Amino acid sequence: MIAVAERSFAVLALVAIVITVVAGTALVTRRPPPWLADAALPLATAIAVVATGGSLLLSEVAGYTPCTLCWYQRIAMYPLVIVLGVAAMRGDRSAWRVSVPLSGIGAAIAIWHIAIERRPSLGGACDPAAPCSLIWVREFGFLTLPTMALIGFVAIATLSLVARHRHA
Amino acid sequence: MTTTSRAQRGREHREARQRAKQQQQRKQRLMFAIVGAVVLVLAVVIGVLTVGESADRAAVPSTTEVAGDPTIEGEPLPGAPEDPSTDQAAGDPVPVASGADFDGEPVTVGEPGTPQLVMFMASWCPACQEELPEVVEWLDAGGLPEDVEIVSVATSLDDTRPNWPPQDWFEEEGYDGPVLVDDVSSSVAEAYGLQATPYWVAIDGDGQVAVRVSGMIGQEQLDALADTVSGT
Repeated sequence: MIAVAERSFAVLALVAIVITVVAGTALVTRRPPPWLADAALPLATAIAVVATGGSLLLSEVAGYTPCTLCWYQRIAMYPLVIVLGVAAMRGDRSAWRVSVPLSGIGAAIAIWHIAIERRPSLGGACDPAAPCSLIWVREFGFLTLPTMALIGFVAIATLSLVARHRHA
Repeated sequence: MTTTSRAQRGREHREARQRAKQQQQRKQRLMFAIVGAVVLVLAVVIGVLTVGESADRAAVPSTTEVAGDPTIEGEPLPGAPEDPSTDQAAGDPVPVASGADFDGEPVTVGEPGTPQLVMFMASWCPACQEELPEVVEWLDAGGLPEDVEIVSVATSLDDTRPNWPPQDWFEEEGYDGPVLVDDVSSSVAEAYGLQATPYWVAIDGDGQVAVRVSGMIGQEQLDALADTVSGT
């Protein structure tokens, strides 16, 4: 059951990459289509919800103990559910002012976490309780938990910026 | 009269537009929800279809099946500090741990007589996974002085973590030195003050702590560690 959940999260992460590319392209060209601008906040909320639910499932059900860096990423991700959820309900185009800094911090921590996973010597010795270098999940050869978190943070930041162009 | 009816018509028009907009928003939200649910269901379906049959868990030994039952005599050491030069336990007698390897052959750590390099390894620990090949290479190159013995302690046993079971890992990496298997509570590691893995304890010929180091040390430091206890 957990293996299926891990694969499903990985598939969703791939979907999030596609969404980010589409949203990023629209952002660069400064012409996001109206449907994308309207969908941006609900999509960003959905990504935050899945990331939050996924992290809780893997720690509380699968028993993967979160390491210190996992906790820092959680601190950045969990509030986004509320921030983006409320903004999506209210059609608040200014949510990016909160979501982009939070996502940026989370993405930076995720990048450091990925670096430690790839070069364990960067993280020093293994804490027997919860080492950050321990790779619990690796899907499609590259999607580890901090990699999926990074994809989530980048997607949320990009979508939040696209939502600025939403029609009133 | 005309002005009033015009104002009323305007209000009705605005209200109609407002209602149309709300209706459109409701439709849009419903569409987002449907698309979201479809994507979620598809992801789960792909997950179910692509995840192969789970490995035969019966063939993999559990933590309790792998864990040993070592006996420990002597005072436990305090936790190892991050900086080995500040180690208050230097010169203290180490606890003597007697147990067995994965095949049930007896292994003892800390007995006075022969200087020992003791490496505490957790198979799931990526730093240990980087360290063990270095150790094997160092041993193969004849780095270990003749009067010093190397012993590994397989500790922090956990069958839910990757790279399980540890005996397969030691074998795959080509380590054929003695391995003392810790118990499920990591009692030997605790008695030696382990804070993190990999963890090295250099024990002199009198059975006393020479140096304790946490983390990867590499071949040069291995030479230095062995030199501190060689000839003691």
